[in-house]
Amino acid sequence: MAVCVAVIAKENYPLYIRSIPTENELKFHYTVHTSLDVVDEKISAMGKALVDQRELYLGLLYPTEDYKVYGYVTNSKVKFVMVVDSSNTALRDNEIRSMFRKLHNSYTDVMCNPFYNPGDCIHSRAFDNMVTSMMMQVC
Amino acid sequence: MSVPDYMQCAEDHQTLLVVVQPVGIVPEENFFRIYKRISTVSQINVRDSQRVLYIRYRHHYPPENNEWGDFQTHRKVVGLIIITDCSSAKDWPQTFEKFHLQKEIYGSTLYDSRLFVFGLQEEVAEQPRTDVAFYPSYDECETVEKRIEDFIESLFIVLESKRLDRATDKSGDKIPLLCVPFEKKDFVGLDTDSRHYKKRCQGRMRKHVGDLCLQAGMLQDSLVHYHMAVELLRSVNDFLWLGAALEGLCSASVIYHYPGGTGGKAGARRAQGSSLPTEASNRHRPGALTSNGINADTSAEIGRAKNCLGPEDIIDKYKEAISYYSKYKNAGVIELEACVKAVRVLAIQKRSMEASEFLQNAVYINLRQLSEEEKIQRYSILSELYERIGFHRKSAFFKRVAAMQCVAPSISEPGWRACYKLLLETLPGYSLSLDPKDFSKGTHKGWAAVQMRLLHELVYASRRMGNPALSVRHLSFLLQTMLDFLSDQEKKDVTQSLENYTSKCPGTMQFITLPEGLRLPPVPFTKLPIVRSVKLLNLPVSLRPQKMKSLLGQNMSAKSPFIYSPIIAHNRGEERSKKIDFQWVQGDVCEVQLMVYNPMPFELRVENMGLLTAGVEFESLPAALSLPAESGLYPVTLVGVPQTTGQITINGYHTSVFGVFSDCLLDNLPGLKTNGCAVEVIPALPRLQISTSLPRSAHTLQPSSGDDISTSVSVQLYNGETQQLVIKLENIGTEPLEKLEVTAKTVNSKEKLYGEFLSWKLEDTLSQFPLKPGKIATFNVNIKVKLDFSCQENLLQDLSDDGISISGLPLSSPFRQIVKPRVDSKPINATESGKVGDFSHVKTLEAILNFKYSGGPGHADGYYRNLSLGLHVEVEPSVFFTHVSTLPATSTRQCHLLLDVFNSTEHELTVSAKNNEDLVLHAGECQRMAIQVDKFNFESFPDSPGERIQFANPKQLEEERQQAKGLEINSKLDVCWKIISFNIWEASVEGVLNQLVLEHLQLAPLQWVYLLLCSRDLHYINFYWKGDSLASIEEHFLIIMPYLVATVFI
Repeated sequence: MAVCVAVIAKENYPLYIRSIPTENELKFHYTVHTSLDVVDEKISAMGKALVDQRELYLGLLYPTEDYKVYGYVTNSKVKFVMVVDSSNTALRDNEIRSMFRKLHNSYTDVMCNPFYNPGDCIHSRAFDNMVTSMMMQVC
Repeated sequence: MSVPDYMQCAEDHQTLLVVVQPVGIVPEENFFRIYKRISTVSQINVRDSQRVLYIRYRHHYPPENNEWGDFQTHRKVVGLIIITDCSSAKDWPQTFEKFHLQKEIYGSTLYDSRLFVFGLQEEVAEQPRTDVAFYPSYDECETVEKRIEDFIESLFIVLESKRLDRATDKSGDKIPLLCVPFEKKDFVGLDTDSRHYKKRCQGRMRKHVGDLCLQAGMLQDSLVHYHMAVELLRSVNDFLWLGAALEGLCSASVIYHYPGGTGGKAGARRAQGSSLPTEASNRHRPGALTSNGINADTSAEIGRAKNCLGPEDIIDKYKEAISYYSKYKNAGVIELEACVKAVRVLAIQKRSMEASEFLQNAVYINLRQLSEEEKIQRYSILSELYERIGFHRKSAFFKRVAAMQCVAPSISEPGWRACYKLLLETLPGYSLSLDPKDFSKGTHKGWAAVQMRLLHELVYASRRMGNPALSVRHLSFLLQTMLDFLSDQEKKDVTQSLENYTSKCPGTMQFITLPEGLRLPPVPFTKLPIVRSVKLLNLPVSLRPQKMKSLLGQNMSAKSPFIYSPIIAHNRGEERSKKIDFQWVQGDVCEVQLMVYNPMPFELRVENMGLLTAGVEFESLPAALSLPAESGLYPVTLVGVPQTTGQITINGYHTSVFGVFSDCLLDNLPGLKTNGCAVEVIPALPRLQISTSLPRSAHTLQPSSGDDISTSVSVQLYNGETQQLVIKLENIGTEPLEKLEVTAKTVNSKEKLYGEFLSWKLEDTLSQFPLKPGKIATFNVNIKVKLDFSCQENLLQDLSDDGISISGLPLSSPFRQIVKPRVDSKPINATESGKVGDFSHVKTLEAILNFKYSGGPGHADGYYRNLSLGLHVEVEPSVFFTHVSTLPATSTRQCHLLLDVFNSTEHELTVSAKNNEDLVLHAGECQRMAIQVDKFNFESFPDSPGERIQFANPKQLEEERQQAKGLEINSKLDVCWKIISFNIWEASVEGVLNQLVLEHLQLAPLQWVYLLLCSRDLHYINFYWKGDSLASIEEHFLIIMPYLVATVFI
């Protein structure tokens, strides 16, 4: 159901970005890149709230004609961005939330790998498979 | 209404629109000069009141927009200023006619107009008119500003009268229905007497009066009118005008709240009541709320509380207004402008998220088919607005879209220059700088795909702009910084196009300065090839300078009085890490080795690769190399010649790859291994080349030799042969050769060598010195090989068992016990016994001749060079003494030495000894040769120096002594052999003579006749001892028995 999944480092460069192969990949790069503006804005607005009460899920970042862009930010300011086809109206907010949680868990697993240097691009088959499953699920 | 004004902001609602236009032929430059001066008069305090009039000047305004003037009065052109050029009085009527024609365009809405005529004196006109001003030239028009002020005053009068006229309209009177252009046909045949219609008229009129009040500087009144209008229009569901009323309300509130203006143009907007001192400070603080009391009108202050909208309300009302506008397709421009205005307000309120929603909405507002230019404008303004709310990435995105629009295929004349300029502006949004230094630290982190796209576009735009240097620079940058992200095919494509560009315009190391003032730093290709290590190489051994050891010792003693100090050692350690402990020589080719590799999937051709140095004049000799695809580490040696002396620092290297010249500094290379880059260059030294009369040797000297040999020669000699080696010394350097020292060292000491192996006379050579460059001197060395001529040990040992020499007398038994172990312990014989079994065994001798030489300025500095010549001599066996024995001669002072001589050569040879006849030996023949010799008195030999005795053990001493004896005997014997037709060569018996034979040859120290009862023969008893003194025989016999060797001849 997701058409593009991206993991963005704290310093706002991509650690992982994958989109469905049928579409123009660059387009999603642009989409995700520009969505970071909104993520930044939301984070800075959230910064005032107490840290422990912070909601990691950022909600809909912005809708475009064809897609909806959702965001999620971990406590270490690693961002997850998911682009969803806007024609898919069956998708509920809660489902998006759970998808992000899955993504977060998988990302945590990647970080637990002693051979992974934080800050490097993610080349993990397990993570890849998880993302694939998220892209395949409904569509 | 089709042309949106993206620059609009809320404050524009309070301005009067004045159009300034040229008529006839007015040079653009002059027009804009006057326009600028007119524009400075943008606000006027009217009639000493608190009211301020704001003017908005436009030099271009579409008349169809003017038709919306009733809807929002700030869209109405109320003033027209015509600027015209009139050179002669004849043209005047024509010009005046044009003025009137121009007035017609905006005629319906104009309050007043002016004509400025340049180039004519006032006298020309028939009668003075208030709306015409004459100026002799564009430079002499001091009164322009004054005239504009007067003009605005007149506009104000009209405005004020209109306002009062409309405001006092009684409800009983028939109120005309104001409408927007597209509404006109909708109201045809409508019942004009219905309440609904009347209310609509009232509401619209209220709104219109509100607009006029706002323009006339009566903010509070306008708020009241807007509120009333909102209520009226809401009740009749007149949504378009309700939206306009709400927007008016918002504008008035914004003007009240943000006197600094929302347009972001500093100083463009002024606060209300410009006479107030706080105005100046507020103006530069966009977003600053006005403090209470700015407005002196107390009545207005009372009304403010309930009429003026709060900051939150403003946005809500804007949202509402926009939602009403959106109901009308024809009001798209109004909606769009309202969005833009709202975004500007939100930007000041720092509410980016909401602002982005407004912008998102604005993006989707579909106007009619836009022209390309309008599209560009639209995207640019979106970009600007996003920038303002801090969405840099989004801003960059739209700017890029705008840039692409500039060169859309549908445009007949693509604006590549504009496109390029816009693209450059997007760089920060994509966190891309064009300085490669920003990328040299660690791995590149960024949106590679997006950045690469942008760089490609920059390259293309700059190429189409007709600036190949620029495209080369961008392409180099792309290749350098994005190398890790390019696929193999992309790498190929990029380099291909780079080569195409550089064929026209090679890449340089200069900064490229753009007209916009941006400086593009050069892009050195530090990754093409990647350099992994830089190592300065020492000179080859033969050219390596060496410091003459001074008596004072190392410079260490000069530095510090301490032999060791941890502090100094530490310092020196650091120094050493940077500086290298060898020297280069001025004028000699020096080498630096780089380990490079090619990251490209194809062969990389690097041309003109050389060193960049500092400190010393250095002539770099560039190299060209070709690295195979994805090569592993590949050594490259860069060479150069230092021209002066001093400390030289290798800073980097320069290359030319794909036609791009790069200077790569080592400091900027990540992960570089180096052994230091500073080395000392010492003054020039001469260079010596040696050539010899002998053929060069393929043999390399054994590694144990320790020295590096520049050349080595080989020669094959028979044992005992002597040959002269002629060495030519040529000075191939540029400095005179002044000093020469020669030393020799025999390397292979396995073979026992007799006599002097190498001998020379240096004086002959030195007489030719100093040797000028290019001159040759000769030097002769005699090679004399004299190895052991003996044969196997076992053969020699036979002697001791020979009945001739030793009898089996029991008397001698104590001596024999002593003799035996001594024979066995002979190490030389023992080891050789196996080897020498084969007679044709070739032995080798190796020696090194060292030439220490110096001259020129380097000599003055105490440096010299060392050249080594390796000498490899193969010694073929000639004759062998297979058996040695002695026979007593007639005299006791003489004896016969019997030598079994074996010819191991393939030639017939003769052997001769002193006083003897020649013995002819055929190849492989063995014959006995008897030589009569005088016995030797070894005691006459000087004993070894006393100290030696102390240190050496008795056995060594013994051997030494024996050697000396051998020498003595040999010189007496003078055994020679000769191959027919060859020279006479010496043969030595030294090695052959073992202990036993020596004893035979020795003259007895004591001789006496001892009569034995059982025999009538004379018996000689030979004594030999190691002691020093001989006290008495008896004593001697008793005391030194263990050392005694006695042989009894019967």
